[in-house]
Amino acid sequence: MEHCVGHVDEIPERDALIVDVNGRSIGIFKVDNRLYAVNNICPHKAAPVARGTVGGTMLPTSKPGELEYGLEGQVLKCPWHGWEFNLETGECLFGVSGRRLKTYPVGVRGDQVYVEA
Amino acid sequence: MRIIDSDVHPWINGDIEGLMPYLSTAWQRRFEGKRSTLPDHPLRPPLAGATSIRRDATPPGGGAGGSDPEFMKEDHLDRYKIEYAVLSSIQAGKLVTLPNTDEAVTLARAFNDYFREEWLAVDSRYRLAMSVAPHDPFVAAEEIRRIGDEEGIVAVFVPLLNILMGNRYYYPIYEAAEERGLPILIHPTGTEGGFQTSVAFAGGIPSTYIERHTVFPEIAMASITSMVLEGVFVRFPGLKVVAAEFGYSWAPHMLWRMDQNWREFRREVPWIKYEPSKYVLEHVKFTSQPAEEPEKNEYLLQILEMVHADRTMLFSTDYPHWDTDTPETAYRRLPEPMKQRIFYDNAAELYGLETPAQV
Repeated sequence: MEHCVGHVDEIPERDALIVDVNGRSIGIFKVDNRLYAVNNICPHKAAPVARGTVGGTMLPTSKPGELEYGLEGQVLKCPWHGWEFNLETGECLFGVSGRRLKTYPVGVRGDQVYVEA
Repeated sequence: MRIIDSDVHPWINGDIEGLMPYLSTAWQRRFEGKRSTLPDHPLRPPLAGATSIRRDATPPGGGAGGSDPEFMKEDHLDRYKIEYAVLSSIQAGKLVTLPNTDEAVTLARAFNDYFREEWLAVDSRYRLAMSVAPHDPFVAAEEIRRIGDEEGIVAVFVPLLNILMGNRYYYPIYEAAEERGLPILIHPTGTEGGFQTSVAFAGGIPSTYIERHTVFPEIAMASITSMVLEGVFVRFPGLKVVAAEFGYSWAPHMLWRMDQNWREFRREVPWIKYEPSKYVLEHVKFTSQPAEEPEKNEYLLQILEMVHADRTMLFSTDYPHWDTDTPETAYRRLPEPMKQRIFYDNAAELYGLETPAQV
C-alpha cells in the first residue's frame, strides 16, 4: 500500500529522513536525486541502520596493500557493526552475509514522496 | 595405525662447540673467542637439570637426550613404529637471541649441515625442518634455495623475531619456501619474553616458567592472524604454515573472531575476499602435542571438530621433552577416520611423505 511520507525537500542529501509508516520505521534516502527506502532495522542485530552513512567502499582486490574505492553513493553502512548494504537492493555486500536489508519502492509525485510498504 | 611424528627435537652436545666441524676456520676462531653456548631463558623448567629434556631420554653413551640419532631410533621411532619424524632444533630457535646477523646466518647454515650429515644420513625416517636465521631474510631465502630441494628437507623452521609474521619483512623467506614447496614451521623457541630480539609476550614479562609456558599460544594466535589479514596467503597462495606446540583450543576462537571482524571491517583488508577462517583451514596446520586436557573428555572431540582437525592437525610427540605425548597414551578415544588423518594422512600430504621410508 502506498503512503505519502512528506515533501521531497525534507529529505537531506545522503542522510535519511526517518518516517513511521503504520508503526514501521523506514529510512528514505536521497542520493544524487535518486530516492531509496529501507527498513530501519539492520538484518544483522536490529540496529537502526538508516542512521548509518551512505558512501562508497573498498572493492575486493587481489593485490594485498592496494586499495580501490568504488560504489560511491550506493552503499549504506550500518552505524553499529559497519555491515555494508547495497542501498538499492538491500543485498549485504561481498558475501559478508546472506541476510538482506528490506527495501521498498519509493517515488515522487508532484513534490510528495510516496513509499510502497 | 600409521604414524608420522611432526615434532621431534634433536640436540647438539656442546651447542656451538658441537657445530665447530661445520664452521669455516675463520668462524671457528670467531666463536672460540667468546662463549660458545646459545643462551637459555632465565626462567627454567623446575625439572631435573633445569632442562626441558627428559632424563630418561639420555643416551646410554652419554650426552643430552636427543643428541644420539641411533638411540632415538630405538627409544622413539622403533618403539612406537613411527614412520617419519620431523626434526626441528630448539638450539637453532635460540638464534633469535643473537644480536649479530652474520653469526646467526652462519650458525643456521651450520645447523642445517650438521643435521643433514649426522641425522638425515643415518636413517631415512628422519626428516628435517631446516633452520633459517630471520635476521637477514634474503640470506635465509638463499639458504632455502641451497638445500630446500633435498629429499630430507620437509619444512623451514623460522624462529621468530619480535615482528609479526604478516609483516613483509619475512616475504623473501615465504617466497623461497613456496617456490621449494616447503611449509614454514613455527615453534616456541624458549626465548620468548626473555631477550630483546625475541618475540615479546602480550601484556608484559612473565615471571615463572609455568607462566611463560602457559602463554605460548599468544604468539601463534597473533602470528596467524597477522599472516591472514596482511594477505600473505593471497600473495603466496601455495604457502603452508605449521604452528607446532602452540596448542589449538584457542584456534576456534581465533577463527570465529577473525570472521566476525571481517564481516565488520572487510573494507580495511579488501584483499581478503572470503572468511579469514577459510584461509587458515586451507594453509595452516597445528600439531597435536601437548594434547589439551579439557574438563570433560567429550570436550576434546568437540574442540577437534571446531578446529577441523581432520584437515588441520598433525600428530606430534615433542620427544625428548618433558611433556611428550606418546601414540599409546594420547588421543586414544578419537573416531578412527579422524585419528588416521591426525596421526598420518595430514602430515603425509603436507610433507609429501606418502611412501614409507626404506629402513
